[in-house]
Amino acid sequence: MTIRLPFRLPLLAPLLLLSILSAFAAEPDGHALAGTWKIDLTRSTELSPWKSFELTITPQGTAISIERKLTWSRREFIDRLELDTTKSVNALPIDWWSDNRHLGAYIGSSHTREVRHQWLDGGRILRLSTDLVLDAQQGPRAVNILTDFKVSASGSELTLTELRSTRNRPVVYVFKRLPAK
Amino acid sequence: MNLFRFSLRLLLTGLIFAASALAQPAPKKVDRAPSTAVIVPTSENWRMDGDVPVHSLLISLQGLANRDYPRLYVEYPKNWQWEIVHPLRDFLTRRHGVTFDRLAVNDADAALARFAKYAKGCVVWDKSVRSSLIVAFTIAGVEDAVVVNADLLPLALKHGLKPIVDLRGVFTGQPDHQIYQWAYDRYWKRCSRDYYVVLGGHAGAEMQPGIADFGVMQRAFFSDLSANPKHPEELALLKRILSQQNPASIVLGWHSYGKDTEGQHTTLTGNYGLKMEGLHNLPNVSFTCQIPLTPDFKFTNNHSVRRDEVRVAEKKVYVAALATDSMGIGTWTKPGRGKIPYGWQVLMNWAWMNPPALQYFYEDKTPNDYFIAGLSGPGYMYPKSIPADKFPALMRDARTLMGQLDLRVMEIMDYSEGNRHVGNTDLPKAVVDRYYQEFPDVLGFINGYGTARTFDLRGNQPFISYDYYLDVDRPTGEAAADLEELIQLNPKRPYFLLMHVRESNTVEKVATILGSLSEPVEVVPLDVFLKLAASNKTYRTNYQQPADPIDHNP
Repeated sequence: MTIRLPFRLPLLAPLLLLSILSAFAAEPDGHALAGTWKIDLTRSTELSPWKSFELTITPQGTAISIERKLTWSRREFIDRLELDTTKSVNALPIDWWSDNRHLGAYIGSSHTREVRHQWLDGGRILRLSTDLVLDAQQGPRAVNILTDFKVSASGSELTLTELRSTRNRPVVYVFKRLPAK
Repeated sequence: MNLFRFSLRLLLTGLIFAASALAQPAPKKVDRAPSTAVIVPTSENWRMDGDVPVHSLLISLQGLANRDYPRLYVEYPKNWQWEIVHPLRDFLTRRHGVTFDRLAVNDADAALARFAKYAKGCVVWDKSVRSSLIVAFTIAGVEDAVVVNADLLPLALKHGLKPIVDLRGVFTGQPDHQIYQWAYDRYWKRCSRDYYVVLGGHAGAEMQPGIADFGVMQRAFFSDLSANPKHPEELALLKRILSQQNPASIVLGWHSYGKDTEGQHTTLTGNYGLKMEGLHNLPNVSFTCQIPLTPDFKFTNNHSVRRDEVRVAEKKVYVAALATDSMGIGTWTKPGRGKIPYGWQVLMNWAWMNPPALQYFYEDKTPNDYFIAGLSGPGYMYPKSIPADKFPALMRDARTLMGQLDLRVMEIMDYSEGNRHVGNTDLPKAVVDRYYQEFPDVLGFINGYGTARTFDLRGNQPFISYDYYLDVDRPTGEAAADLEELIQLNPKRPYFLLMHVRESNTVEKVATILGSLSEPVEVVPLDVFLKLAASNKTYRTNYQQPADPIDHNP
């Protein structure tokens, strides 16, 4: 089979270059995601052992902060991920692995995670790829977690999808935007 | 026999007995269960502004009527948390020969007609002060009085029971620490040092004082004092009370849902080396505590391995499932029991406090039901909170009870520094050492409630923590995905997956989850599981570490 090079390539090249450059120049700032979001339990993966989940996303210049607040009655867990979007990889501290407290799996002794980010669809979706080590009964185990924060067209709903390398089933949490205080 | 040897043996026996924590007298048993007894059903309304007044009257009357002989059994509704009331009634008839003479629902008039003679009067509580009812239960025990509010006073008077104490208006506007201080100043000296009742659990508009009959019978001091440091005056009085109870005596009931937490309260009782019997709505103990086991009965467990047997694990995933939230509030009577091997933690003090209830469970077990000891010792206690010098005597009691109940596995739970959400539920090496020292003959130990990560193997005795907690709300699909994820996280074989099942999950649900796994697993009885875990240590030895998170269950 013969491969034909498109004869109009020289004409298209500047356009292609422009679009690549504009993609870099217009690195989304996460404002589509900004705000406080409250879980809709009826449309989400079952949340136990927690009963409530609030997500607060705060973009500040090239940084973006993602705070999770999980509660069950008087018990509460809050963690924050501070992402520097100018870095391709963020090495961030993690005190406690709270994603599934039913499992005998705990954050490894380094208490760090490596987070890579990617903006998709003009900033409507933030995709994180997180590498961390969990300590389980038999010892340390490397785990990768792909997390999408995806805002709906109207901006009123956010869907958090989590794919863990160790889990066969995706975890999906649906959030409603809370009115700004 | 050589007199010297005999005297020595007598002396040693005496010393052993003196060193044992089980110094408190067991309730007196009758020779055999009564051939007839009265049964009074209650309604389903347990609101303070509903039927709690008449129920409280009946329960206090029950404590007095049963004080020297089992005469009155209260038939709690079928939706009662301790779900064995009705099956146990039938068991008492079938195995112990008790015929019940039935009264109408909430029929206090008929009950008083039969049993008012066991009371000397009544104590009137204040409808506008909830805690006055709890104080009234204390007074009921020491003054031999039934508890009534203003509405029920005419009924008491009709049966010749005049007010001995009238609490109306006495506590108006007072906080609980003052109310219980008032009761302490007047009645504490006459109360039992073997039993203290924390009449908590449901708070506010509801009360479920199922344990109060036994408390009245035993002349216990009642309160719902808080163990929460946010309530310093209540905590101070509670510490004063607990510190004066007999060593290793019993705390009955449950912490107040409105004031403190299970972790806070049980930690505090452990600080004093006391044994928690944690169920505020455990019913009819004044009746059942006096009934001996039938002469033909012996406690026998379903052992699948001999003590000295060696089992060798294959390259498989082994699963053992257990329920530990007190037999009777779980799913014993629900579908699926017997379908798969399943462990049940026994409340060991029922051997002397509630023998027919244990006889019921032991005789009702299927070949797949296996009993284990707990929780952490002779009663519900947190080992990290027990002073080291009080530990050996308590665990001697546990060993005695385990022998009596044919139990070979000790389960440990510690919420003194965390829970299944935050903090940790692990044990430092020093505490693990204590268990190995005190229980040289057990098949092994299991630890946690939610998951934990204390693991060990010494000799042929493994120490295994729960790797999975099955929440009541967890759908089967997610639970199966959880278990499959654990199997991924732990790639070596054999892998020993110990699973704790929260009380309301049926065995049927557990069997469905295990049956739906995409990975092959072998579900085994807990004693087999421990023998296999002893044969191939694929788990890492781990204890609580100094840097582990701590949360004092605020």
